[in-house]
Amino acid sequence: MTPDLAVPRRQHPLGVIILATKFSWHVAKAGWPALLGLSFGNLKWYHLLVVPAAFVVVGGFALVYYLRFRFYVDADALIVERGIFQRERLQVPFERIQAVQLFQGPIQQLFGLTGLRVDTAGSSGNEVELVAVKLAEAEGLQQFLRSRMDGPKEEGGAQDMEGMSAPAAALPEADALVSLGWMDLLKVGFSQNHIRSAFIGLAVVLSLFQGVEEQVSSWIAGLPGLVLAMAGLAATALFLPGLVLLMFIGVATSVVSVVLKYWKLNSTLGDDGLALQMGLLRRNVFEVPFQKIHLTEWKSNWIRRALGYETLRIQQAQAEGGRGGVRIFIPAMQARHRLAMEERLYPDIGKKEVVFDVVPARRLRWILFALAASPALLVLSPQALIHPLLGLMWMVFVLWTTGKRYRSLRMKVYRDAVVLEKGWFWQTRTVIKLSQLQGIEWKRHALLERRRIGHLVFHTAAGAERFGYLDKSNALAIRNFALNQVHVAYGNRTD
Amino acid sequence: MEISTVANPAIDLSDLPDVEGVTFLPVSRKYRTMRLALWGTVQLLLLAAVLTPYLLYRFGGEEDLAAFSQWWLPVLAQAVLAILWGLEEWKGFQRRGYAVRDRDITYRTGWLFRSTTTVPFGMIQHSELSQGPVSRMMGLNHLKIFTAGGSGNLRIAGLTEEDAQSLRSVIEARTRR
Repeated sequence: MTPDLAVPRRQHPLGVIILATKFSWHVAKAGWPALLGLSFGNLKWYHLLVVPAAFVVVGGFALVYYLRFRFYVDADALIVERGIFQRERLQVPFERIQAVQLFQGPIQQLFGLTGLRVDTAGSSGNEVELVAVKLAEAEGLQQFLRSRMDGPKEEGGAQDMEGMSAPAAALPEADALVSLGWMDLLKVGFSQNHIRSAFIGLAVVLSLFQGVEEQVSSWIAGLPGLVLAMAGLAATALFLPGLVLLMFIGVATSVVSVVLKYWKLNSTLGDDGLALQMGLLRRNVFEVPFQKIHLTEWKSNWIRRALGYETLRIQQAQAEGGRGGVRIFIPAMQARHRLAMEERLYPDIGKKEVVFDVVPARRLRWILFALAASPALLVLSPQALIHPLLGLMWMVFVLWTTGKRYRSLRMKVYRDAVVLEKGWFWQTRTVIKLSQLQGIEWKRHALLERRRIGHLVFHTAAGAERFGYLDKSNALAIRNFALNQVHVAYGNRTD
Repeated sequence: MEISTVANPAIDLSDLPDVEGVTFLPVSRKYRTMRLALWGTVQLLLLAAVLTPYLLYRFGGEEDLAAFSQWWLPVLAQAVLAILWGLEEWKGFQRRGYAVRDRDITYRTGWLFRSTTTVPFGMIQHSELSQGPVSRMMGLNHLKIFTAGGSGNLRIAGLTEEDAQSLRSVIEARTRR
């Protein structure tokens, strides 16, 4: 495969169609409000010629772009030449490559082609995307890149995959992990955060109307005042239906996005990595080597817990400044899935050998309570009996929840990993691999220092994780232990 | 069935090397001067900004600014903040320092907001010396240490030329590639 790859080449000819579709989509997204605005004007038949003309122009662009796009590899970099008016030559050194991912959009699926995306770490942030490559060729290129980027000391995360058709084949001892059927998909959809989804859905709807505002506002300005007043009244009356509509948008967005993203999700657990494929319109195939995983996080809310589900976030190294970083979500992880995964990823968690098992200092309970209860002080003014009563009820409620919140906080340190458990309603379990810890920080302000309390911050390549209000002697012992484990792991790796 | 075994010695938790016991080396005293100069400049500018409306009202005859006749209120607030910041600079400088062990480097800062960060040499990707115009005038160097992901980056500010060079060479030597 290697000599082949060194020859500059174009993508598959059908790539022209894929590129044309991609460009048309961009043009349509940018241009449709303008078209709408024009259509209010005096329309003659020949104005409609704009549409076929646009198609010809976009098609021409796609053809030229396709013809001028070449990719090949040389001794130490993947090189892509592209550009229509301004030619650019992108050079992606192998050690810079973070992830190589294969993907199939709807058209690629139709033609049996595949896209290949190369993510890089570093300030350039310039990723390379091939849209149409034959399956075998993409696999060959991806294999080659993987073999070159995969140094044992390599810090960048990498996700790459074996065969598009049979990702599990490369991992002979793979165990089935999560795979989702119809019902599971629906359950996952309904246990999403609908409030967030509602805002995403609204943003999508509103972005469609971008550029129409002017027409709308000029139209409103032309209306008589009485009509406007009536409309205002109607809008107030519509508040409740609006709320219902918002909720509906939220749930619908959740379900639709889950179906699009996790369609036919199938994942397997191998000896040294995790393979998964998912997606409806755009099908993605990943293989994540365990050694490139810097952080895993299991999250659940009460709906998910009722269903016995947790969502797993796998986080690989991020670029400088916290941007980017490959993150993969696997929904509907059940308890046995988590156990199976942790057994492979962090063997010592599976052995249940806890070195430290600590909870925050008791003082945190009162800090949490004071923070949550302080709004009650605002209504405590004794103007009416109801105010102090409400305030008191809030205090009792807050006392109950802060107790729950405080008790949910727990840090367990194993020989190879740190587990941070946080949250009562929204639970999070963050696991950091000690051998990949980038730094550890002990911080506190002067008042806490007097009480011998402070926070431990674990700096990982995938971001910082803080565990607050620890007793000083515990925290310092954990810091010394963590550093020792890093040094031991690093020593083993190089010697 | 054949069972393979690995050495798995128990770890004595009380016997782990302790970061707290290391002696921290201070950064250059000139750096304190630099930071105090910054503190003074900012305080002067703030004072001017806080007093301008009052002076305009008192001596410029701007009656609209009568609300600022209570000039001592903002000045008091600023004084409190200035004292806190000044204390942070003065007392914090005594705590500011770095310690190098065989396998890691630790940096300690702050008096009101204290932080002690340790970065293993094995995780350092590269280091960089930087100088602004003022620090160049004073002959100071800032050493930046970069780790993957950028979360664990360290910036050891206010090193003299020799200290910076020797610290850098120590890091380069210990950071095996």
